Amino acid sequence: MHVLSIDLRTLRTSTAVLALTTAAVVLSGCAGSSLDQSGGGQAGDAVKIGLLVPLSGVYAPLGEDMRNGFQLYLDQHAGKLGNRTVEVVSADEGEGPQTGVPAAQKLVTQDQATAVVGVVNSATALGLRDFFHESKKPLLVANAGADDITGARKSAYVWRTSFANGKVAAPLGPAVAKEVKGGVYLIAADYAAGREMVAGFRKTFEAAGGKVAGEKYTPFGKTQDFQPFLSAIRGSDAKAVYAFYAGAEAVSFVKQYQQFGLADSTPLYGTGFLTEGGVLDAQGDAAVGVKTSLHYSSELDTPRNKEFVDAYRKAYDEAPTVYAVQAYDAASVLDKALANAPGGTGDELVKALGTVGTVDSPRGGWSFDADHDAQQKYYLREVRSTGGTVVNAVLSELS
Amino acid sequence: MKATYETATSAADRTEAVDDSRPRRIARKALVAVPVLVLLAAAPLVLGVYPVSTMTRILAFAVLVLSVDLLTGVTGLPTLGQAAYFGAGAYTAALVGIHLTSDAAVQALAGLAAGLITAALTGWVAVRARGIVFLMLTLAIGESVHQVADTWPAVGAGNGLAGMPPISLFGGPPLTAAGFVYWWVLAVAVIVFAAVALVVRSPYGRTLRGIRDNEPRLRALGYRPALARYGVFCLAGAVAGTGGALWAAHARFVSPGDLAFEVAALALLSVVIGGAGSLWGPCLGAALVLLVRDNLSASIGGHGPLVLGLVFVAVVFLLPRGLAGLTAGLTAGLTAGLRRRHRKERIP
Amino acid sequence: MVTYLVSVLNGLAMGSLLFAIALGLSLVFGMMDVLNLAHGAVYLVGAYIVVALTAGEGGLPAFVLAVLVAAAVGAVLGGVLAGLSRATPHHLDQALLTLGASLVVAETLSAVFGNEVHSVAAPASVAGSVSVFGQAYPVYRLLVIGFGAVLAVGVYVLVERSRLGSLIRATVADRGMVSALGINTGRVLVGVFAAGAGLAAVGGVLAGPILGAAPGLDEKVLLLALVVVVIGGLGSVRGALLGAVLIGQVQALGTALLPEYASFLIFGAMGLVLLVRPAGLLPARKAVPA
Repeated sequence: MHVLSIDLRTLRTSTAVLALTTAAVVLSGCAGSSLDQSGGGQAGDAVKIGLLVPLSGVYAPLGEDMRNGFQLYLDQHAGKLGNRTVEVVSADEGEGPQTGVPAAQKLVTQDQATAVVGVVNSATALGLRDFFHESKKPLLVANAGADDITGARKSAYVWRTSFANGKVAAPLGPAVAKEVKGGVYLIAADYAAGREMVAGFRKTFEAAGGKVAGEKYTPFGKTQDFQPFLSAIRGSDAKAVYAFYAGAEAVSFVKQYQQFGLADSTPLYGTGFLTEGGVLDAQGDAAVGVKTSLHYSSELDTPRNKEFVDAYRKAYDEAPTVYAVQAYDAASVLDKALANAPGGTGDELVKALGTVGTVDSPRGGWSFDADHDAQQKYYLREVRSTGGTVVNAVLSELS
Repeated sequence: MKATYETATSAADRTEAVDDSRPRRIARKALVAVPVLVLLAAAPLVLGVYPVSTMTRILAFAVLVLSVDLLTGVTGLPTLGQAAYFGAGAYTAALVGIHLTSDAAVQALAGLAAGLITAALTGWVAVRARGIVFLMLTLAIGESVHQVADTWPAVGAGNGLAGMPPISLFGGPPLTAAGFVYWWVLAVAVIVFAAVALVVRSPYGRTLRGIRDNEPRLRALGYRPALARYGVFCLAGAVAGTGGALWAAHARFVSPGDLAFEVAALALLSVVIGGAGSLWGPCLGAALVLLVRDNLSASIGGHGPLVLGLVFVAVVFLLPRGLAGLTAGLTAGLTAGLRRRHRKERIP
Repeated sequence: MVTYLVSVLNGLAMGSLLFAIALGLSLVFGMMDVLNLAHGAVYLVGAYIVVALTAGEGGLPAFVLAVLVAAAVGAVLGGVLAGLSRATPHHLDQALLTLGASLVVAETLSAVFGNEVHSVAAPASVAGSVSVFGQAYPVYRLLVIGFGAVLAVGVYVLVERSRLGSLIRATVADRGMVSALGINTGRVLVGVFAAGAGLAAVGGVLAGPILGAAPGLDEKVLLLALVVVVIGGLGSVRGALLGAVLIGQVQALGTALLPEYASFLIFGAMGLVLLVRPAGLLPARKAVPA
């Protein structure tokens, strides 16, 4: 009797487990078999676009700007891209590939998105490359800057509406070489982007006859106090500094650069992300005088940009950032491409992406180059204080 | 000072105490384990790509969590360093995949070896300590290895190591479908689980539990706890390394984030949520943590951490002995109820 | 050489902040064996309080108000945490609980203040720089060093020389014995927990003009505070002070001397100390040796 009761009990447990799992299976829904070794297409009137931007973590402010930019384009075009109603499916990229890669896989395999737009983190973009390449679905990178994305690891299915680290830093080199008489100190966060930025700057800077006074990389994401590095800069007799930081580190660096008295004696140059968006608001007056290179500034004096800035301000009550423009342009590119891809398959779409030609963007006209990277103008910007707010005034176009 | 993080009697031990005889216990476990295994194995036949690849990630992560449980739950050493060995295994497997062979078995063995060797090289620093000092030393090891991965150009530095071809098995064609990769990961995970279960039930496992519960007495009895601790540290490193190789087999991409503090912390939390000392409880904990983090965050506007935080608080108050405690309590209650009924039946 | 002297000064400023933050963590662990992983979140609450109260303006009254509000809010949070963690006896559960609480607090802060990086202006009267060893040095940091010195002396007198202090030390050494003497140790525990959390929140306010306020800062600060506590010796005021000064110097002077190894310095130093002295440099005296 006793034995039987135990068996009954365990049987009941097994049945419960079985029932639960069956329920889970039914509830989870089936979207394509997991044993299928090839990808599928999607046709029809509506089209699903996956938006993969960080909603949580340190990159969340960028994610918000990108989402706003993408949404603004949709709102301006009655929610349609290529004359097809768009359903935007959002996923949280998080801080890195650990969250970003599964999120993108969900967008493609579960939600059946026709294309995915977004990706802030470079490692995430590189980690996704093979997945999109093999699924034959287009990925429109709207921020991640690693050179490899459109370089060594380029794919027919990966396109970039933003920038490559090396290319965005390079145009500043000759300008600094011309303006500064004497050595320039290079400093950046010690991670892939920091090193690529410095390398890109250094190459054109030295080619234009510039002299490097020193080069240091600070622990990425761990440096709160830059004083030891700032002291080293002071000790090096450099006449100017080139820096690359983003986020909280950009705020700390620029503020401390001023607090330790370097701002008065040694001009600070950098790649635009040093003083872009919310970062600039937090730096405030400490950033005044910093000169940077970037492919956009909200202060850009063109009718196209003015119209965009007004619309963006009206919708979100703040000035647009480069991140918003990159996502806005991704929507714009998709608009053109989807019109030429009636079937909605990935192959049709990437073919259409190759023929979008010049994109009429708030940043100025730009087009995809042979590697699917944005070929665009870069601007020399200077932080100025006007009427209580600090902005990136545009000084000139860089060649 | 009571610096050791002893976990009192573990949930597993209590479950065993509830039951009476060994054969019955085995029969009962088999009756639960077999349907669970059958269902796990059948999953790719009915589920879509995304659920299957989620389950694959959970299985690989569960192997890492097992290694943490081996140290924290069984031996009483709370660790934040296992992600380092997980990462060592993942990077090694990816390098083998890129440069040598796509054979998944070779990759898994390479990952195991890498985890074992890295743990053997670094473990001696940590095993001298206990409690929070052990925790901090393993954290230091983990962060240092993470820093190396983040800045070493040979493994892609911060951009990670990409370009790993799909795995293949025993000379077969490359496995690109999520379901086949899942079956491989499931098979290895089950083997590792069984191996760890055997170790825990062996005399060596009893020594480890002895270290957790009363190390001075163990030493007085003539055991050498220091050697046993180093041994289990190396073993846990090998398990974590295998988990890393499985992770790489599925993701085909490794980045420094895979051995970051966050991974180590989530693994430790999975163990606590699941019930330290039980083996399957932490595996369920791993599933819960990953599901909350990856699937819930987007649907509630990126506030996944908030839910995770609430889950942690709720677990402490609602499931004092973790998920393992939940069923242990249930079965105990059931047994008691059944016994009461028997007594009633016997009264004429 | 002068460069290094400035770094030493800077290390003292960071050390002062770390001492304020680590002290509560150390005493709470020493007394209750509770590893309060929500300590960093309490710090972040202080940092956001000063952001909210001094928005745009760098006035001294607003700053002082922020210190007082932070102390009060921190103490309340500490009291709640003490109550929560006393409800569960297991160490791992307490760690899980306080970590859960810290996630909830941090997410609430990011929901209220957004995910942007916020910076805090030092009060206008002390916002400038003075020349130290011939280099510009922010006045505010000198004040932080002064605060650290005052805090160290104050806490030393309170804990090592007063009756209340002897009660605290006795509770660290042997809680059961103190309880047996008819003293309500529960009240001492909650009091120390609250005071420590209040101090951490004040640390958040004072560190505002240096470190600002941003999501994720809580984890970085918690990690540094844990290192300080472990290096110094758990439950010891003098240990926390020594650990804080040491880590401050490792961060500032160490980075100035060995910039290439900056990322490994903190954990390297910790590993070295713990290899030589596993219980930390100045561990608290215990009734029963561990």
